[in-house]
Amino acid sequence: MKLNRRAIFGGITAGTLAFGLAACGGGDDSDTGADGDMVSGEINGSGASFPDAYYAAAIEAYAEVNPDLIVTYNAVGSGTGKSEFGEGLNDFAGTDSLVGDDDGVEAGSFQYIPTVAAPITVSYNLPGVEGLQLDQDTLANIFQGAITTWNDPAIAATNEGVTLPDTAITIAHRSDGSGTTANFTKFLDEATDVWTLGSGDEVTWPEGSIGGEKNTGVAQVITQTEGAIGYVDLADATETGLMTASIENAEGAFIQPTLEATTAALDGAEVNEDLSYNPLNAAGAETYPIVAPTYILLHTEYEDETVAAGVKEFVNYLITDGQDIATDNYFAPLPDSLREQAVTALNDTIA
Amino acid sequence: MTTLQNGGPTPPDLSGRNLSLRRAVADRGATALIGLCVLIAALPLALVAWQVVSRGASAWSLAWFFEEIPRNYRTEGPGMGPAILGTLLITGMAALMAIPVGVLGAVYLNEYGKNKPLARFIRTMADVMTGVPSIMMGLFIYVGYVLVIGDKTGFGGALALASLMLPIVIRSTEEMLRLVPDELRQASSGLGARKWRTVMGVVLPAASSGITSGSLLAVARAAGETAPIIVTVGLTYIYKPDLFDGQNTTLAAQIFRNASQPFAASQERAWGAALTLITIVFLFTILSRIIASRFAIDKR
Repeated sequence: MKLNRRAIFGGITAGTLAFGLAACGGGDDSDTGADGDMVSGEINGSGASFPDAYYAAAIEAYAEVNPDLIVTYNAVGSGTGKSEFGEGLNDFAGTDSLVGDDDGVEAGSFQYIPTVAAPITVSYNLPGVEGLQLDQDTLANIFQGAITTWNDPAIAATNEGVTLPDTAITIAHRSDGSGTTANFTKFLDEATDVWTLGSGDEVTWPEGSIGGEKNTGVAQVITQTEGAIGYVDLADATETGLMTASIENAEGAFIQPTLEATTAALDGAEVNEDLSYNPLNAAGAETYPIVAPTYILLHTEYEDETVAAGVKEFVNYLITDGQDIATDNYFAPLPDSLREQAVTALNDTIA
Repeated sequence: MTTLQNGGPTPPDLSGRNLSLRRAVADRGATALIGLCVLIAALPLALVAWQVVSRGASAWSLAWFFEEIPRNYRTEGPGMGPAILGTLLITGMAALMAIPVGVLGAVYLNEYGKNKPLARFIRTMADVMTGVPSIMMGLFIYVGYVLVIGDKTGFGGALALASLMLPIVIRSTEEMLRLVPDELRQASSGLGARKWRTVMGVVLPAASSGITSGSLLAVARAAGETAPIIVTVGLTYIYKPDLFDGQNTTLAAQIFRNASQPFAASQERAWGAALTLITIVFLFTILSRIIASRFAIDKR
């Protein structure tokens, strides 16, 4: 028998060698100095997936302003983003919710910077029915399974002149833990007395409801199921071509989820000392009631000055010039007053 | 009965032409059933392949393989170069760590350890580890490596994938070594070879093609892992040839990232990345089959 010692290495490691060789190619990033006062280097952010589409667009636009500062934003979810922030794995975190005691972030070591906000739409699939109007109690009752058909008198009451079919209502919700669920249920919890399911990243939905992965999944469920209703962010609702319901706001008007109505809600919201604010069910005749805020978390102290300068430059871009591209991506820019506060806070946090 | 009268034995009739009706029906029925099962088993595979090719092929172009990844989901156009490089580097590094260790571990189990308590313990643990969800390996590396060095890197991902591959490599290699007939070992010893020479020169080459396909299975599984990569590797849009320098990305992570956005441009990129990943695994399979057959001991 012919034996070859090379055979061993051939058999075992040739495959890995092939990989190794293939890996030897590849470009390398050149470290050219930045022009003028621009910072060069690399900063990493991670966190909420809700504003990911806007941040991604802003990062691309920013790469043309300053190509030497590489910014990445990894949409791992608010919770993970905050814990990574606490561990120092990222240079800034994105979060839809405020920092809690068990998030692993030390109190006083961070600063909120609000960036954009977006409405959470109530989307439905009911052929032939356009411009559905829902008051807050009815909305709560639909989502907790108390109203089961579309021709229920409670729905008919706010939709005069609309012929409602007797189709059964199917609730579509997020199957993964989500800030969108948290904000939506928080709205129902705060605004209505009838809501009994509580609020949080995950709640126990009524039996027979269908879960979808992320906003895209929920939008898909709604598209595929006649009689479905669910909560979806504006980007997914618009891109998927879903019908959105007008929701009753704090002053009793029925408002469509538009970006103008969202900015109006931010104007009507009370801003706290730490720049956090609650835009849910905000005052004002034109405000959409279900609006989700999102923040960026900054460290109050950075070990590396270059990183600090980079973070400052990018976040400053987000809340100034970058606001212009927010609307293209279905996000509402901050009202001027809040924007000025954010810029001041940014300058105070990172000198 | 006639054959007996004629004296000499005739070969039995295996053509199935002269079966009784009942047996003929049973024969045809069973054949059809098996054929149907094969079809049912192959159908999802064919559908997946067709779906990925038909939806992903349009994303491909020369620029697709070399350009950087667009930062914006809605920007149309190509670019998966960094993810392709990242997949090759991270999976390759993982294979480089897991396969030698796994193969030598299996050699210990089958040639030295046999039924010693330590060997049995390792065997049981390897079996348990193959069933552990991949995210657990990701979190293990996240806690044990990423948090310790304080940075997400491509090497962290390679470590996570290596720990995923290791038990698969150990168990499949051990099964292959067990199939090597003892006569080969005895013959080698009889010719005066020491035990390590027997193992390296006779046992391993004899099992090489099985070891290769087992290792390949592990590599293919690792190349498609998403969860541990997202936890340990992070994200980048640019080429990162150095696994120890900053965050990286892989095709699987890019599929996950781009597919969860509603925009047509990013979904097309997700399909394109899926096709690229399947192609890479496919090419690698063929390559390793060729290598295995070239180095295998001649079939007797």
